[in-house]
Amino acid sequence: MTATTDTWIGELAQQHLDAAYNLGRWLLGNEQDASDAVHDAYVRAARAAHTYAGGNARAWWLAIVRNCCLAKLALRKRETHLRAVENEPSIADVEQRAEADQRRAQVAEQLRALPVEFREALVLREIEDLSYREIADVLNVPIGTVMSRLSRGRAMLQRAFTGAPEKTA
Amino acid sequence: MNCETTLPLLEAYLDNELDRADAREVEAHLDTCEACRNALGKLDDVRRALRDGALKFTAPPGLRERIAATQLANPEHTRRPRWFSVAAACALAFGAGGMSMHLLNSPQHDQTAHDVFASHWRALAATSPIDVASSDRHTVKPWFAGKVAQTPVVQDFADHGFALYGGRIDYVGDTRVPVLVYKHGQHVIDVFVLPTGTSLSSSTDQGYRLDTVDLGGQPAAIVSDMDAAETAKLRELLKGG
Repeated sequence: MTATTDTWIGELAQQHLDAAYNLGRWLLGNEQDASDAVHDAYVRAARAAHTYAGGNARAWWLAIVRNCCLAKLALRKRETHLRAVENEPSIADVEQRAEADQRRAQVAEQLRALPVEFREALVLREIEDLSYREIADVLNVPIGTVMSRLSRGRAMLQRAFTGAPEKTA
Repeated sequence: MNCETTLPLLEAYLDNELDRADAREVEAHLDTCEACRNALGKLDDVRRALRDGALKFTAPPGLRERIAATQLANPEHTRRPRWFSVAAACALAFGAGGMSMHLLNSPQHDQTAHDVFASHWRALAATSPIDVASSDRHTVKPWFAGKVAQTPVVQDFADHGFALYGGRIDYVGDTRVPVLVYKHGQHVIDVFVLPTGTSLSSSTDQGYRLDTVDLGGQPAAIVSDMDAAETAKLRELLKGG
């Protein structure tokens, strides 16, 4: 047994690794950055383990993953100021798994096009199946905010699905 | 219920976040209203599109190995806290229908406060924070009988500016608890009557305040956006009765 596997942080990270990576992919858009962010989160979680005060461990872990992703995003934003063209995140492997299913690729693109606060709420609710309270814990916002972000995010996707022009509310 | 009251609840209904009473009312309306059924159908289309397996990424094997191979600098911090196994055991007992565990350890106690705040916010977000509307304590108290293990002491303090508005059943963790709802000016105040033995201390969260009070021998939590002085006034009234 390594020093890692007999710690509860290691167990927690391994147990919810897919959820962490999925969130990272939807926030950062590519495998390398998502993997690095999850790895950073693991090291950070281990350092902060003694501050964990109970409650939902999955939500606590995903909150740390999210913070690491947002830190990467901020870094990327600074870097893109130096470049002429922003790198569009690739959806190549979603497309590949969908086996040329245009519709799926389109949904992926539409979800990716949402502003990050709506995208992350929808990913946690619909793809990871978290409750409102768990999402509130991950995002560190009140439940009412979770509800309104989900609602707006869904409305934006509905409009995107039907091809209606985006309302600027 | 009509369309106007149903539509704002549809998403919470879809997300399985409504209590049973509200869910039943939404369903009763859906049975009779095609427009609301269509609205729910559209929400469900979004859900089905997103729940398509192709949108869920799984961690590459390399990442799993990389994490397993990472030696942490400070292993004593990563050791399982002593209460962790206790909490896990409690969570099991709780899931199996136990009711008295919440109080064995302090982390749980933060969770109770958290649950109480969350229930209060959810109630505020719903169309009505009450299941039974009445300023008459003789109506409210019998309404609780048979719905919860222990019917709470119900008092009205309209003379002191805290009018009894009604009651509802809510959840703290997995436990159903009676909630007395008061109004003071524009403030909606929830008094959660907790199982005997619950330990909880006062706290604040995002502008909302939680204060504890002994209500005829049962621990209770007063939750609202009132300030400390107003809360203390209600606390004295509840205690004095």
